[in-house]
Amino acid sequence: MRVIANHQLCQGHARCEDLCPEVFATDAVEGKVVIVMAQVPPALEDKVRLAVRNCPEGALRVTRQDGAASKGELQ
Amino acid sequence: MTLRFQPPPPDHVPAERMVDFDMFHIPPGVTDPAEIWHDLVRRGVPDIFYTPHNGGHWVFLRYEDIVEGYRDYSIFSTYQTPVPPIEPFPVVQPQGVDPPEHNVFRRLLAPMFTPIAVRAMTGELERRASVLIEQFAARGECDFIADFAERYPTGTFLYLFGLPEERLDEFLALANTFFRSTDPAERARNITEIYAVLDQLFRDKQRNPGDDIASRIVAARDEEGQPHAWEDILNCGFLLFVAGLDTVTNTMAYVWRYLATTPAAQRHFRERLDDPDAFLRAIEELMRINAVSNLYRRVTHDCTYKGVQLRRNDRVILPNTVANRDPRVFKDPQVIDLEREVNVHVTFGVGPHRCIGSQLAKREIMVSLQQWLRRIPEFTLAEHQDEGSVFGGSVMGFTALRLHWEAAAKAAA
Repeated sequence: MRVIANHQLCQGHARCEDLCPEVFATDAVEGKVVIVMAQVPPALEDKVRLAVRNCPEGALRVTRQDGAASKGELQ
Repeated sequence: MTLRFQPPPPDHVPAERMVDFDMFHIPPGVTDPAEIWHDLVRRGVPDIFYTPHNGGHWVFLRYEDIVEGYRDYSIFSTYQTPVPPIEPFPVVQPQGVDPPEHNVFRRLLAPMFTPIAVRAMTGELERRASVLIEQFAARGECDFIADFAERYPTGTFLYLFGLPEERLDEFLALANTFFRSTDPAERARNITEIYAVLDQLFRDKQRNPGDDIASRIVAARDEEGQPHAWEDILNCGFLLFVAGLDTVTNTMAYVWRYLATTPAAQRHFRERLDDPDAFLRAIEELMRINAVSNLYRRVTHDCTYKGVQLRRNDRVILPNTVANRDPRVFKDPQVIDLEREVNVHVTFGVGPHRCIGSQLAKREIMVSLQQWLRRIPEFTLAEHQDEGSVFGGSVMGFTALRLHWEAAAKAAA
């Protein structure tokens, strides 16, 4: 599983970092999300899905390995 | 709050969208000011309606429209928007300007409020909370507003701006007049005073910079390497002063009021003092259910939004508390579920102006509650509560909240 962020939509709430700091951080210039681990290890998949679903801007997407949105992964 | 003027309903508003609603008026007997908003939903008024009160304004009641109001600045501008209108009103930076102009100060402030920046403040926030709580813990009672919820965020402002603790009462007085006064002359004087204090403060920080936000704002340079306009620096200081005080005070008041009346919720937090993830999840739910801000926008041009005719300069109020209980978005929205997993509340707004201090605000509330629960046993509302201690408006809340607990006969070390 991969996770991608849309920086146009991200407003830096950092709810994702609150929920899964292993995968999400916030940059110190614009205060927007940085994905520190685009390839999500299986053990973190549930936490990442939860972070994606909690983004108030809908700025995060989970995709399959090949980059296509996987069925049932989008909100 | 006195009404400035009450013009007849504008002719572009159809009769079926007119509702008699005064966001400042809390009817006698109503103990939770948010209820006047939820009452609108229960009454089934239109999702987009117009009230002639307070200068006349629209109200959006659906989550998706409230979110749209925050995001679409091509229609909904944040420029000079108070309801009722106060003109001229300071063009605060960056909250009071739309993108792209807005990005200048937004980018300047953003690094100061990231999770990592806020985590670095945690020790000081904890120390400040514990100092305040120790002052009344042995007493068995307090007025939560005067003794804690006002002092704490004001103290945090002093800390962020590198100001000495001795100035707490001065800043408390300035803030109280700003937020509570309804006398136009007093309000005008107060804003002048706040700007004079900020002017002096930034001049001091220019001469003797420290490791604080005020120093960084005054030292910042724009893309051409020039200092920012002095007026904008003051307007940014003004925003940081007013934005983080009343909101945090009243969110805390709501949270502590809920806990005081809900022993099971107190236990929930007590049992999770050493589980920050679970603690934060429960805090997020209390953020959802206790959204104190009803923010305003101004329509930029005559247009039709969702079939409703809007006219240039119409004001729109976006009540976060209503968005946060929209059943189209939240499962069982009226249930306070401290383990709620998906919680896209808009308590801090969304879009370009989402509250830049949201991480700090949540940290202040978390730290305060942790320090409180470590020092104060189960607490309840005191039997006597002051009459008329609730208020509505753009930020709604409480002017007094008396809490009671069993004081230990001899305070433990």
